[in-house]
Amino acid sequence: MIFDCHTHWGDCYQARDGLAPARWLEAWDRQGITHGAVFPFAGLINDSAIGADNDAVAAVCAKSAGRMLPFCTINTWQGEQAVEEATRCLEVHRIRGIKIHPWLQGLSPNSPGMDRLCELAAEHRVPILFHDGTPCFSLPSQMAVLARRHPRTTIILGHCGLLEHWREAIAAMNAADNLWGCLCGPHRAALRRIVRLCDGQRLVWGSDHGFTFEDMPAYFFGVFGSLDISDKLRHDILDLNPRRLFAMADH
Amino acid sequence: MDQVEIIDGYCTPGTERELQIHADDLQAALRGAGVSRAVIAPQDREICVDNVTGNDRILSLAARYDGWFIPACTINPWYGDAGIRELRRAVARGSRMLVLSPALQGFILSDEVTDPLIAAAGELRIAVYVHTGPHSSAAPTQLALVAARHPDVQFIMGHCGSTDYAHDMPAVLALGLNNLWYEISLVRPWAVARYGQLMGDDRLIFASSAPRNDPATELNLLNIHWPIREHPGTYANNLRRLLAGGAA
Repeated sequence: MIFDCHTHWGDCYQARDGLAPARWLEAWDRQGITHGAVFPFAGLINDSAIGADNDAVAAVCAKSAGRMLPFCTINTWQGEQAVEEATRCLEVHRIRGIKIHPWLQGLSPNSPGMDRLCELAAEHRVPILFHDGTPCFSLPSQMAVLARRHPRTTIILGHCGLLEHWREAIAAMNAADNLWGCLCGPHRAALRRIVRLCDGQRLVWGSDHGFTFEDMPAYFFGVFGSLDISDKLRHDILDLNPRRLFAMADH
Repeated sequence: MDQVEIIDGYCTPGTERELQIHADDLQAALRGAGVSRAVIAPQDREICVDNVTGNDRILSLAARYDGWFIPACTINPWYGDAGIRELRRAVARGSRMLVLSPALQGFILSDEVTDPLIAAAGELRIAVYVHTGPHSSAAPTQLALVAARHPDVQFIMGHCGSTDYAHDMPAVLALGLNNLWYEISLVRPWAVARYGQLMGDDRLIFASSAPRNDPATELNLLNIHWPIREHPGTYANNLRRLLAGGAA
């Protein structure tokens, strides 16, 4: 199996394809990607669309024969309504994780509402994946502090610090055992440092596929493929780690 | 790779951290990717505080490789008049481009601290390459303000603000500043194509940012979205024109 752990069910796809995943999956197929995590998109930029977007992501993933693992999003500024929405997605849609995009959604990772979300995620044994690499609400160190405050919750840096904060992502992951990193965005030299200096059992790979029609898996898979890493580590990052992360059989 | 000329607009033969690469190995990687010449620039520490050491190291490398590498120099604008003297010295010895990195050098790009240095670069008729992308200090919109303030100086926008300023780029391109050029390392290939469609082939400048990126990987992926054979300006001619002192 090969997992793409960072994708979005983009509004462009939804406008064109409704809730049919076939054309969206073609980009994965071209790279041999078998499975992946699918996040909302419209709900990240429009709070009033959160419920409908979570439903859409769950619906399209349900048609993928188990290849697409749905994530939901919430906005913690909505208080109890946010908790209810997360609970609904966990219990009704059986979502596999929660996506938070702090700078798009206007949430500090360490604002009070995040504590309740971390507890909820831990109770249901699903990870929370954050966009990271962008001040002032999406620094890896902010996620590290959150992770240390919530050791039962698995938290993922969605971009390993992107182009500017990847060194901070290394420090962050080495400061919190429950903080994972998704290799999605840093340049090749940064990726080489990350895989060398971080726990290889807490790294996954992702492409950011889906929020436009561009073939992002081809680009990011090409960059990842050019890394001079062992076959075992490559296998761990692409297959074993995500299966463990998502508690899938045979890991 | 297509057999057309490719000049790499920015590489770093570094000795520290992730930039470590011997110039022989850098040249071999570039040649293997089809590159025929490349601009080389000082590494991070040299950009930040050891300007003279870095400039001399890069000039020596360029001389040793008989012109295959094109030397760029760097000055931290906080060095003031001493920095301008160093710029004149480096250019007299052969430096062809001035590199500024606001995040490393500790200034906000639109700050007036850069004005005397930029004016000196204009007087010396060398282009000013600016690393953009880091938040607060190095946004494309900030460079647009600087370029408008110095219309007689040629500027290269390193990385086009990748990645978080991509939404600003079409607006910056629409300003049509004649003295602003756009270097595409770290820009996602599909975004390069979008920028090219907005402005044509006569303003973009290819660079790999090796060894941060692998030149062959980048060129192969770029070729899908912005084909090398169809865009000789992007991959060679624009930089050659700029280094020759050509304006718009």
